[in-house]
Amino acid sequence: MSTDTLRVPEPLIRAGALIKYNSLLRLRDPSQLISYLVAPMVFMVMFQPLYTKALDYGSIQAVTGQLMMFSVFAMSIVANSIFVEREWLTWDRLRASRAARAELLIGKALPVFFVLLIQQAVLIVFGWAVVGMPFPKSLGLLTLAMCVWGFALLGMGAMLSTIVRSRGDLFVACDVGALLISSIGGAILPVDLMPPWAQAITTFSPGTYGLSMLRSAVQGDVVGTLQPGVICLVIGLICGAVATFRLAHGWGRSHLV
Amino acid sequence: MLEATDLTKKYDEVQALDGFSLSVAAGEICGLVGHNGAGKTTFVDMVSGLLRPDSGAVLVDGVPPHETRGEIGISPQHIALYRPLSVREHLELYGRLAGLRRKALKAEIEELATAMQLTSFLERRAGLLSGGQQRRTQAATALIHRPKLLLMDEPTAGADPETRQALLDVVKQRAAEGAAIVYTTHYLNELADLKASLAVASHGKVIARGSSAELLDGLPGEVRVRTTDHEYHRATTDPTAALMAVLAEARGTVESVELRNPDLDDLYRSLAVSDVH
Ligand SMILES: Nc1ncnc2c1ncn2[C@@H]1O[C@H](COP(=O)(O)OP(=O)(O)OP(=O)(O)O)[C@@H](O)[C@H]1O
Ligand SMILES: [Mg+2]
Repeated sequence: MSTDTLRVPEPLIRAGALIKYNSLLRLRDPSQLISYLVAPMVFMVMFQPLYTKALDYGSIQAVTGQLMMFSVFAMSIVANSIFVEREWLTWDRLRASRAARAELLIGKALPVFFVLLIQQAVLIVFGWAVVGMPFPKSLGLLTLAMCVWGFALLGMGAMLSTIVRSRGDLFVACDVGALLISSIGGAILPVDLMPPWAQAITTFSPGTYGLSMLRSAVQGDVVGTLQPGVICLVIGLICGAVATFRLAHGWGRSHLV
Repeated sequence: MLEATDLTKKYDEVQALDGFSLSVAAGEICGLVGHNGAGKTTFVDMVSGLLRPDSGAVLVDGVPPHETRGEIGISPQHIALYRPLSVREHLELYGRLAGLRRKALKAEIEELATAMQLTSFLERRAGLLSGGQQRRTQAATALIHRPKLLLMDEPTAGADPETRQALLDVVKQRAAEGAAIVYTTHYLNELADLKASLAVASHGKVIARGSSAELLDGLPGEVRVRTTDHEYHRATTDPTAALMAVLAEARGTVESVELRNPDLDDLYRSLAVSDVH
């Protein structure tokens, strides 16, 4: 095929280049993803007997709970991938390049979004094959739920990375944030088993909606998936908008303490 | 090619730019010099489209920078490289972002790597490079797509003499091909080598602009006479007269006579450029 007959449009070339090099950066720093895959697998197996005693949907809770918790931890992969661009001063170089804002965002977001999906998919398969979670009733619904949850995480992680003032802040925000979001969201202690006052505060954690969406998706409950799904989408959109605004303006010199 | 008029920029207490104007023609290398904090990098960031001026305007080839971004090649003052990516990957990334297609990109990388002496570490990750190697890599990412306007902010800081010369040669070649180049440096003799025109910045504005011949014209050179007794220095615009005068009063036997033409250091001194108010 000669390049004259088939010329790829420039925006696609640029977005493609950004996706390629962002993926390379992720691949060369795989330790986070690996630990966020192995740890939940261990916990799933550990908690499964406990949950099956306490709940009808015990094995689903064991799998989706850990999946939610460690996918929230994986938010730090998103945050880190953006934060290094600030730390290395490379973001301004991209901003000054010919690439449009949308191309930069797609190049940055797609690889980490893919990482988030892979993590969820691997954990679902592990949950079904090893932990004894029933096979999802609708793979389409589950995929949709995983994408929506991935989008919410992407937005939250991106926002965090653009508003913190130092790497230390980012560590704290990601670690403490992930623990709060996931535990209040019912990843460790299922919401149904919480005392009423605790159940009341679960509404404030995005994890609550993520978990109930994923659980309903595994059970094949369309309405139960879509309702929290809309909330997750909104969270992703709002956080994503804040991140996009910050990224578009850059930080100049005044950015990191 | 580049036209900046009356740029101002204020940060809390610092007036970083204070009526900064500078025009650079196609094919011209403009040596931008000035004390630390004079506003050189702030100016470069504005031309890159990264920073908006409080007032004033920048035009690159007739349009504002954010509309022409691809036509500009930038080598920032501070190292901005992806530590896990190799030198070749950097050149590929910035080349592709500038719209180079595969074949052209490959050819440009080969040519530039040879000219800039990057071949021996082309596959090495940026994080593993020495400081001077990183700086050359960064300069190469600015050059890869043959931009019409090149902004090089201290591109030779920390480079050894040989590689510095390699970079200067590439810069000269790009100017000969018609690129407008803004070249910031604290090494004034580089600018003589580049045959650059000069812009001297001080406290946020350009206080002297012209060819080095114009700016040096009328500046005192120096006469040095060493005798067995003493060493005589005299600043002068009329070397012959000064030499006669020195010889007339000199005691002892003359050992050496030296006439030094005014250079950029003298210009700097004559403009009393400093960051002390
Ligand atoms: N974001 C900022 N916040 C506050 N002050 C700033 C900011 N950016 C630049 N400045 C100030 O503006 C002035 C001009 O800085 P600039 O970096 O342009 O100088 P420069 O001429 O490049 O100096 P050097 O030769 O040291 O590189 C400095 O006093 C600097 O401290
Ligand atoms: Mg500077």
